[in-house]
Amino acid sequence: MADNRDDFVIALRYALLKKGTKQKFSLFFLIILSIFTITLDKFSIPVVLSTRAVLNDFVYEVAFIASTPGKFVNYLGQTSKKHFNVVNKNKILKEEIEKLKISRYDSLFLKTENKNLKQILGLDNTVNNEDDVAILARVIIDQESPYLKSLIVNKGTKHGIVKGMTVFSKNYLIGKIIESNYLSARVLLITDLNSKIPVIIEDTDINAILTGTGKKTDLILEYLPDDLAIEPNKIIFTSGKDGFLSGGMPVAKTYLNKKNKVQIKSLSNPQQALIVYVTNGKFNK
Amino acid sequence: MKIFIKIKEIIANNLAMIIFYTLSFNSFEELKEVPNLLLFSFNLQMIIVYFYILKFPDELGLGHIFIAGIINDVVVGTPLGTSSLSFLVLCFFTSYIRNVTLRPKMTSEWITFIPALFFSNLVYFIIINNFSHLSFFYIELLRNSFFTFLFFPIFYFLFNSYQIKVSKKNA
Repeated sequence: MADNRDDFVIALRYALLKKGTKQKFSLFFLIILSIFTITLDKFSIPVVLSTRAVLNDFVYEVAFIASTPGKFVNYLGQTSKKHFNVVNKNKILKEEIEKLKISRYDSLFLKTENKNLKQILGLDNTVNNEDDVAILARVIIDQESPYLKSLIVNKGTKHGIVKGMTVFSKNYLIGKIIESNYLSARVLLITDLNSKIPVIIEDTDINAILTGTGKKTDLILEYLPDDLAIEPNKIIFTSGKDGFLSGGMPVAKTYLNKKNKVQIKSLSNPQQALIVYVTNGKFNK
Repeated sequence: MKIFIKIKEIIANNLAMIIFYTLSFNSFEELKEVPNLLLFSFNLQMIIVYFYILKFPDELGLGHIFIAGIINDVVVGTPLGTSSLSFLVLCFFTSYIRNVTLRPKMTSEWITFIPALFFSNLVYFIIINNFSHLSFFYIELLRNSFFTFLFFPIFYFLFNSYQIKVSKKNA
């Protein structure tokens, strides 16, 4: 019995402390180092935070370069696939352009007329709000992780991006900045489990919290009244109750799924975002 | 020309390490386009760590495992050191298994991968639960661990035949 225990202890000690011929560190030392790193990371000391920011910037850049060959292959595949649909789309688009040209002339005329009338009536009150900053950024890493649905963008504190700023893609809210480094920043997507946005449903005065599900574009509404039945095809807007996001920005819409159940999906597909706008709460076209 | 031969030799001798670092840096975005592929996602890093520490411990340095883990944490967004500790716990179990095994067989090594994976993932979950505010899907991770276990023999034969080939070439 004692021999067995001794063998067990010797095997454990050997596994922890024995270094291989080419190993520079023992397992025990590295485990202690890992625990030390986790502890340092937990207690966000300023020195550690700045070191982590530098490390993040470096790793993101290398990760971007490392993912380039894969992206290129993917791009080639997608391009060849799209090519087959281009001719038909082109024909349809040409027809649409003709129609739009006509309507554009109409709207230009109306716009000019409106401006002139406003000037005559003294209602021209164009406000130039310099506080609304829109920083254009490129997505360098689109991270698909079971823990965090996030994007890494190529702008950071150097370009004025700070933690908490909102991120838009194609006019729709896709997330907010949760980590800002000197040259890069991490965006928590609205589809992530940890994302919570105060919203209001179209044609109602019901406030709720829009939460991600971790799936592609699916979202859920929390804190709804018990007796409320949500109707399909309703737009969900930000309520602005968090004091940061402006109210009235469309975020998601309700729809009927195959089982005739009302569900909510994001108006944008955050995972398709390539170029995003980072703003301080309001989308600035 | 000599330089290319030298580079080829370096790549051939350190392929495991190169794959391991590439996996840490890469997020494999392009694979998301393939429908239902995520259902069969598995952790190749765990397989590499387990296989190399078990069969060829001198080919994959523990220091490299630690650094690759740190890189993985930065890319994924988990607390720094989480992946490193998880990989090192896997190394610890693997080293223990290697020490107490007298006649190694693929099947027994495959079965012992289960407790090694379990403890490694357990450490990962404990750290994420206690040191961060992240939520995660247990089912997805269970599925990932299951496929990691399931695909182990395929990579076992691949890596084993490759290492034997490299050893013969270097001999």
